[in-house]
Amino acid sequence: MAALVGSPLLRARLPGLVALSASACTARDKAAQFEVLTAPEARELEAIAARILPTTDTPGAREAGVIWFMDMSFGSIMKDNLEFARSALADFQSGIPAAFPGATLFSDLDEDDQDRYLKTQDQTGFFGFVRFLTLAGFFGMSSYGGNRGNVGWKLLGLDGQHAWQPPFGYYDAEYQKGEPHDA
Amino acid sequence: MTPENQVRFDKNTAVDFVIVGSGSAGGILAKELSTAGFDVVVLEQGPFRTAADFTHDEIAVTFLHELLGGGPEVHKHTFRDDESKVAEVPQRPVVEYVQGVGGSSVHFTANFWRFHDVDFKERSLLGPITGTNFADWPIDYAELEPYYTKVDWDIGVSGAPGPFDPPRSKPYPMPPIPVKSSGVLLEKGAKKLGLHAQPAPLAILSQPFNGRAPCINCGYCMGYGCEVGAKSSTLAAMIPQALATGRCEIRAECAVFRLETGADGTISEVLYYDPEGKETSQKARAVVLAANGAETPRLLLSSASAKHPDGLANSSGFVGRNLMFNGHALANGVFEHQLNDYKGVQVTRIIHDFYESDPARGFYGGGGIDARPLFCATPILFALAGTPMDGPGWGAEYKDMLAHNFSRQMSILGSTTSLALDSNNITLDPTHKDQWGRPSIRLTYRDHPDDLAMCGFLRDKAMEIFDAAGATTSWAYPVGPSNGGAHLLGTCRMGDDPATSVVDRYHRSHDVSNLFICDGSSFVTSGRGQPTMTIMALAFRAAEHIARAARANEV
Repeated sequence: MAALVGSPLLRARLPGLVALSASACTARDKAAQFEVLTAPEARELEAIAARILPTTDTPGAREAGVIWFMDMSFGSIMKDNLEFARSALADFQSGIPAAFPGATLFSDLDEDDQDRYLKTQDQTGFFGFVRFLTLAGFFGMSSYGGNRGNVGWKLLGLDGQHAWQPPFGYYDAEYQKGEPHDA
Repeated sequence: MTPENQVRFDKNTAVDFVIVGSGSAGGILAKELSTAGFDVVVLEQGPFRTAADFTHDEIAVTFLHELLGGGPEVHKHTFRDDESKVAEVPQRPVVEYVQGVGGSSVHFTANFWRFHDVDFKERSLLGPITGTNFADWPIDYAELEPYYTKVDWDIGVSGAPGPFDPPRSKPYPMPPIPVKSSGVLLEKGAKKLGLHAQPAPLAILSQPFNGRAPCINCGYCMGYGCEVGAKSSTLAAMIPQALATGRCEIRAECAVFRLETGADGTISEVLYYDPEGKETSQKARAVVLAANGAETPRLLLSSASAKHPDGLANSSGFVGRNLMFNGHALANGVFEHQLNDYKGVQVTRIIHDFYESDPARGFYGGGGIDARPLFCATPILFALAGTPMDGPGWGAEYKDMLAHNFSRQMSILGSTTSLALDSNNITLDPTHKDQWGRPSIRLTYRDHPDDLAMCGFLRDKAMEIFDAAGATTSWAYPVGPSNGGAHLLGTCRMGDDPATSVVDRYHRSHDVSNLFICDGSSFVTSGRGQPTMTIMALAFRAAEHIARAARANEV
């Protein structure tokens, strides 16, 4: 996946590759259907999430299943935001044809163009909302549908352990070796 | 879950006391008054959660406001920064408190600073401040000291003495929590600057105490309920003892909406919505209002009658006024090596060198500084708000920064005085209602310029400390006016003069003889940012006086 990023083939926005990436979107859960989102909505939202937390040498929003968190949330804890998300997504998409002739969908664009477009959008309420969902889906408990395999926690060096003992970090370990505190 | 076997009192027979609220003050009053032999009914609007109900679920706790009983969409509290404006329901909670048994002592960070002598008599020491209600307390530190000590030993406080501490009559019952890397770095920076870092006093157990387990360093203190009961909430430390007396009934999910007064002007019964939402009432000989500095004035203002046209206990007009939040200043720093500050309690070192107001600064104010993970205790909050403000907020570089900084970052937080102002207040919203149909709490607040100046002063100090401690990167957040708060102080202040205070020095209403008010609303000044220990000390003291008055038939 990482090797394909920015490749000339993707930059050419070939329809065949768009279809390929769409199927990649649901590849992790072949049997699963989205509960709330339509497949085109999910493709767009996942494409945005994947630029917020891209797949690099570590898993990104796609691998964490952020889109499944979003779908589950829009049916539950974010139910009241679904209408906003839908209309704001349409607004978000409406600027794409003018910026990238021939394209209508964000997920049609290659990743460099996606980043270019997001830079024009990242101060909007819609982007802020999708960013929040992406972070919550990446770093929240996996029971909400995202953070699969705890990849979000692993990125930060967390492993879900529930109790700790000192020393906790470098500086308190050094401190313990040194002179006692004269409080 | 409310214990099945607790005592049940008849609603139509007056109990000795109804206590409204079960938090830092209410939980202590319930335990003390029931232990003293009185029949007590506690009405708590939130559920009866226990340690087993608490989780590390950041989405539920921080973003869905599970412990607060929901967010603004439910409570519909409103905010405006000026009395000439129409208040609106913002996206974030404007007055934050836990709805549930134990109140906000369940989710607080557990910093337990005693007030100093100056906090009680600063007005006399410094003189008046024009345009404010800056005043002395009717009591002083010496009067409250035995009750601070009682909090130490009855609630469970860990700590060690520091160079600026007020005198104490008994040592801490247990040593401080082990220092974290953030505390070490604060101490390192402080030493270089000639400041004095000291171990943080915390209402968190460092050792087994009174049958409770010590802290397991899980890292989920700030905003979370403690899963092992090591945090000294009233839920962990007081409620079990209150229930064990067999004289205390806790009615959870019961939201009080009115204190009803009889022909003689005293309270006859407390009206509330039961868990099914049905109106009901409990008759009482006396009422202790301990609902917090926002709920308490709302209830009093909602209880207006022909005899009390401006709200109950409000002949002074001071109910709801003088709200003080404590100001905050914040800076973040990143270091070369890993701190892993997500482990353990939030705060292990504090600095009190700037506690006292100093005329040389050119403004009134004092404060304290602490070191803590803050944002980098929990992953979502960190990703959302913990990275440098001028850095990327998405993309590969952002992701790399999250991975690198989470374990290497810490915050320095300054907490300050707030001045008492008429214009900072809690009133009834004329339009919005909460989920029970009660008038929404309307917050009007704008920090006094001196409060903001003090925040700016501490922010600069925080940056100096980061430099001295050797941070590779540091950044400070801009100081600006508060648009909400969790410290709800001053809205029914105590005083000797009924014209300028709501309760007397023993927490009895000047106007209504069988009404006692004890919570953050009793404060006359704000202290330096950690009010809960003083709320608890006041509650122990109030309970003693209330019990004495009740025994003498003077309630």
